[in-house]
Amino acid sequence: MIEARDLRKEYGDFVAVEGSTFSVEQGEVFGVIGPNGAGKTTTLKMLSGLLEPTGGEVSVAGYDVTDTAMRQQLGFLPEESPLYEEMTPTSYLRFFADLYDVPESVATERMHETLDELDLEHRDRKLGDMSKGMKRKVAIARSLINDPDVLVYDEPASGLDPLTTNYVIEFTEQLAEEGKTIVFSAHNLYHVETICDRVAIMNEGQIVARGDLEELQAEYGEREYYVYTTVEVPDAVQENGHWRRVVDSMDGVDAIREAAAEAGGDVIDIRTEESSLEEVFLNVAESETPGTRYVEEA
Amino acid sequence: MNPRKLLRIAKWEVTKNAGGVDKRTVAIMAVSVVAMLLVAGLAASGGATGLDSGLYRVGVDESSPYYAPASEDPAFIVRDPSAEAVERGDQELYFDGTTLRNRLGSQKEKAALSEFRSSVDGYNSEQMREDDNATAAFPVSVTLVYLEQDGVTETVATGGNADGSSGDGGTDGSSGAGGTDGSSGDAGTSDGSTGSGTGSSSDGDSGSLAGLGAGLTGGSTSGTPADIQPPFPFESLVLAFLFIVPMNFVIQAYGSTMLSERLNRRGELLLVSPVSRFDIVAGKTLPYFLGAMGVITAITLGLRFSGLTAGGGPIAILAVLPLALLFLAATFCGAMFARSFKELTFVTVTVTVSLTTYAFVPAIFTDVNPIALISPLTIVVRDLQAQAVTTGDFAFATIPATLSALVLFTLGSGLYREEDMFTQRAIPLKLLDSLSTQIRSKWSALKLPVMLLPAVVVAELAGIALLFALPVEISIPLILVVVVLVEEVAKSLHVYAGFSSGRFDGSLRTTLVVGALSGTGFFLAEKLILVFQVLNPGLSEIPTSQAGLVGSLVPEGVPLALAAVVLLLLPLALHTVTATVSALGARRGRRTYLVALVAAMAIHFAYNFTVVSTVVQ
Repeated sequence: MIEARDLRKEYGDFVAVEGSTFSVEQGEVFGVIGPNGAGKTTTLKMLSGLLEPTGGEVSVAGYDVTDTAMRQQLGFLPEESPLYEEMTPTSYLRFFADLYDVPESVATERMHETLDELDLEHRDRKLGDMSKGMKRKVAIARSLINDPDVLVYDEPASGLDPLTTNYVIEFTEQLAEEGKTIVFSAHNLYHVETICDRVAIMNEGQIVARGDLEELQAEYGEREYYVYTTVEVPDAVQENGHWRRVVDSMDGVDAIREAAAEAGGDVIDIRTEESSLEEVFLNVAESETPGTRYVEEA
Repeated sequence: MNPRKLLRIAKWEVTKNAGGVDKRTVAIMAVSVVAMLLVAGLAASGGATGLDSGLYRVGVDESSPYYAPASEDPAFIVRDPSAEAVERGDQELYFDGTTLRNRLGSQKEKAALSEFRSSVDGYNSEQMREDDNATAAFPVSVTLVYLEQDGVTETVATGGNADGSSGDGGTDGSSGAGGTDGSSGDAGTSDGSTGSGTGSSSDGDSGSLAGLGAGLTGGSTSGTPADIQPPFPFESLVLAFLFIVPMNFVIQAYGSTMLSERLNRRGELLLVSPVSRFDIVAGKTLPYFLGAMGVITAITLGLRFSGLTAGGGPIAILAVLPLALLFLAATFCGAMFARSFKELTFVTVTVTVSLTTYAFVPAIFTDVNPIALISPLTIVVRDLQAQAVTTGDFAFATIPATLSALVLFTLGSGLYREEDMFTQRAIPLKLLDSLSTQIRSKWSALKLPVMLLPAVVVAELAGIALLFALPVEISIPLILVVVVLVEEVAKSLHVYAGFSSGRFDGSLRTTLVVGALSGTGFFLAEKLILVFQVLNPGLSEIPTSQAGLVGSLVPEGVPLALAAVVLLLLPLALHTVTATVSALGARRGRRTYLVALVAAMAIHFAYNFTVVSTVVQ
């Protein structure tokens, strides 16, 4: 559904994104994470056709992103979505429905359905009089007014209170279940871990790691084995009447098993703990640092 | 272009902004407008009393000749003559017959006497105008003929006693341009009323505004020699003012709405919707354009059908169209370049002052100098005055403004995109962006110099206007430097923008091609102007037109083949060579571009200097 090949974006002599290559399948939820200034938003804006890539190619739903027809298939939610505060949610959504050629009856039904799902009341109140959370819900409804196949959401829960954040994340999860293709960026890695099928980690303008969570954990994460024995083995600590030792490989587990047997005891429990996406991200950020981001003048 | 979406955006622009104004504000504005109209109407109807009404008290008996002028002037309150009243300070003036009996002690008493004299003078003039024997009232008749600066036509004339053509020997009956009604001569019949009105009949044709102007500027047709004053184009001023003021209101609102799209990234979602940039810009501009044109049409028709002007119709309205576009385009372009409301304020003030000057000042002198035709508003004034407007005049006045508006809209539209609208990008970089977004292929290098030519002409004329006052030994070289600088930048900046944005690859072949195309494009545009000037003989009377022709024409007696070389081949070679030199530098970066630009300017200057020296010799 989305193909990006060797994407590059320069602002003057500053390289915001370089060599980004990835693809997103239909119905997949693809997360883009990275520290501030990593190039996430620039990448998402190139996907949505807002920014013209300096180099590389990108297509969405089979269209080149510079093609206006592509925008008919896309719902974009920017990190900040300032609305026209003089308008009401309904007039705002109707206006965008018109631009997307959505028939009036369909638009009305879709608008109210989405706003019902988002639990937004006061639909005739001016947007300028609404809370940030309510405005965000209107912005999400706007991104769905054309029933797009592809959603590009940049920090959809940014700056919202925990309750509204959960609401937005659950709604995004629900959209994913309905089969929408979603590219999703967030600083809260728990949310990414919860709803994304695959993740790209960006740092200093480049994708430094990508894959599903298991692949990332395997490559950049740590797995620890907590081995409990009935007898003392080297380097073990006593815990609740048993002995516990932590190792990072199955070879270590086997070695403990042998040591316990030699001491006349046995292994009674093995527990595994894996790195979270946050730990993976920190490991990647520390280990994968691309070079300079500036273009050399000829 | 998608007309349906364009109109949808236009409708949204109207409703959005209407939604931003609450009912209370609308009510206050409506009350204010009604109040202003009432005050204006009262003042116009003469119902408003003057500030000096009843200011002075004059003691004069009914039998005194002074009674009538004093009682008819609202500045005076007439009382019975009384020395005691003067002493008490209850009367400023005390007349016995026609003799002033009190001494003028206070300033108020002196002012009262001065005012009273004026009042008596006015009363006497009025009496003489009403006299059946106008020849006796005004025994000397003078015909004034005002000529245009270039001696083209007579424009204003005031006559004296037009009906005296036979009554007093017919000294001016045939030549009294102002005495149209009386020129036939009534052989001394009692046509005083006609005669008294004849003086203003020449102005009267143009409607009441002219009459008002004549009254205010002392253009009376009978009176003392002191009443004769040089003509002031009051009517043109009023008409030009009426048409320029709505523009200034419209661009304030328009500039504000354009910039507000950029604040807090409000316009981002329109950019990501399936609508082209053209539709967005056109849709947002349309209501303001239609609003301006609606107001202009209402003013034109109002003037026409109320009888205030003799003319006014489609020509006047069509002539304002490019002006409205130019105001909007300049504001739009400025709003795209401005990075804050502070900068926008600077932009709108600059646009208001410069475009108002461009449109308003020449139009005031519609009847004085043909240079006035550089403003479309001159056409408007002419049409309102029921003067003839030729196709050439209309084209000369409106085409530059229309082209300039299109160029400004095009350049501004180049910045209507994410990375220029929502960032604090430096203005020089925005300028490069606005040019580079117009580049689609190598052929764009040919198109852009043509597109930029209105800006080139304006910049060169501004430079000439600033430097022309200097001694000729200094001014000519400096003007040549300005011309060279402007033209070389116009031929190369878009090429540099193309290379720096990556739209042109940096190969030698591409560089040579875009350099040659840019030079050729500039040459073609330059010659297009020349053709336009030569085809419109009327333009040769206009100094700016003459200035533009200098260096473009060869002296008489030069063979045709040589003229072709001088007019065509040499300039073509010059422009392509210098544009290619600049392109060679532009492909490598900013510093090399600047060096190459200086080299190209040196070549161009040497060429121009040689040509000018040859022509002068």
